[in-house]
Amino acid sequence: MPDLLLALVVAIMLIGGGVFTFLAALGIVRLPDVYTRMHAASKAGTVGSGLMLLAAGIHSLDAAIFTRALAGFVFFVLTAPVAAHLVAKAAHAAGYRLTRLTVMDDMRELRERAAKKR
Amino acid sequence: MAAETIISGACAIALFLMCAAFFLTAWRVIKGPTLPDRIVALDMLTAIAIGFIAVVAIRTGFNLYIDIAIALGLVGFLATVAFARFVLSRGMQPGEEGAPDEAPAGNRTRRSGGHARRLH
Amino acid sequence: MRPVVIIAVFTLIWLAVSGSFTVPNLLLGIVASALSLFLIRGHIQPDGRRFRPLKALSLLLLFFKELALSAWKVAVLVASPKMVLKPGIFAFPLTVDRDFEITLLANLITLTPGTLSVDVSEDRKLLYVHAIDCSDPAGTRRDIANGFERKILEAFR
Repeated sequence: MPDLLLALVVAIMLIGGGVFTFLAALGIVRLPDVYTRMHAASKAGTVGSGLMLLAAGIHSLDAAIFTRALAGFVFFVLTAPVAAHLVAKAAHAAGYRLTRLTVMDDMRELRERAAKKR
Repeated sequence: MAAETIISGACAIALFLMCAAFFLTAWRVIKGPTLPDRIVALDMLTAIAIGFIAVVAIRTGFNLYIDIAIALGLVGFLATVAFARFVLSRGMQPGEEGAPDEAPAGNRTRRSGGHARRLH
Repeated sequence: MRPVVIIAVFTLIWLAVSGSFTVPNLLLGIVASALSLFLIRGHIQPDGRRFRPLKALSLLLLFFKELALSAWKVAVLVASPKMVLKPGIFAFPLTVDRDFEITLLANLITLTPGTLSVDVSEDRKLLYVHAIDCSDPAGTRRDIANGFERKILEAFR
């Protein structure tokens, strides 16, 4: 019986991770510009692959391997926002535009004001 | 027995979903109008590969695969950081326009600027 | 944090990653973390920072809740047949002022529903946040200030 319960937990985590990863990829295809695509990749993508890694850790039934999978999960959660932040900052600094749907951009206004002052 | 059936079924579903995700993301890498789009998609490919490795670890029972997944995550993060530095140093190329549905720049700037001013 | 605490945390991480809980491995972890702390001693300055474990734990719980919620929201948004998008970048005035706290806040913001930190202004007073639904920037600002920023201030001051 505990076997079955464990298998169910692992299966739910696997399928959940797969669904999140798939939706993140769908977001990368459907969303209109780099910045919105980054939302999909950095949130749904991280949660998807993290869930799968944790599922692998639980399935092994070994404390050492589970802690390692947990450490990997924490590492992904820590690095994904840093990577997204760096790419977004670089893209904005290089001048890649936001989509036409954008309602406001405080950053561009500030940069233009600074450029005018100079 | 039932437990193994459940896990192998879940593995099959997860592998199928990730195959679809992989192809969608690869399409974005090929199509992606700008360099940052491609970088984001490549970062996503790394995440998908990590998921693949985790599923393979469950299917085969080789737990060493988890270490490989962690190492891949590290390398993927460093690659994204290096790419971001590259975008910053290269700047935007003249051929690349921004988002594909981009309105003329003057029009958009005026609209967003006005909105932001109202708020302050 | 005191060096002893940092060494203890490093050793715990070492034990988790190496995956063997034996006495020689524990000693190796302590030596390795003390050595690595010694190597970067010039870059960490003691600044009288307080650390409240319970508040930090509540911050961690809030973070995991928000992470799950944000992944769910993005997934629902992407899966809906007609995406309603109002993206935009707004400026968030920072109350926290230390590098460590700004980094933590920016990371937390990135992994919460619909927001992604883009840049910090040169004088470190403003954090630029890209929101996928920017129809109510004042409300989002208030949410961040009352949620994460207050918790960070409680946990580390």
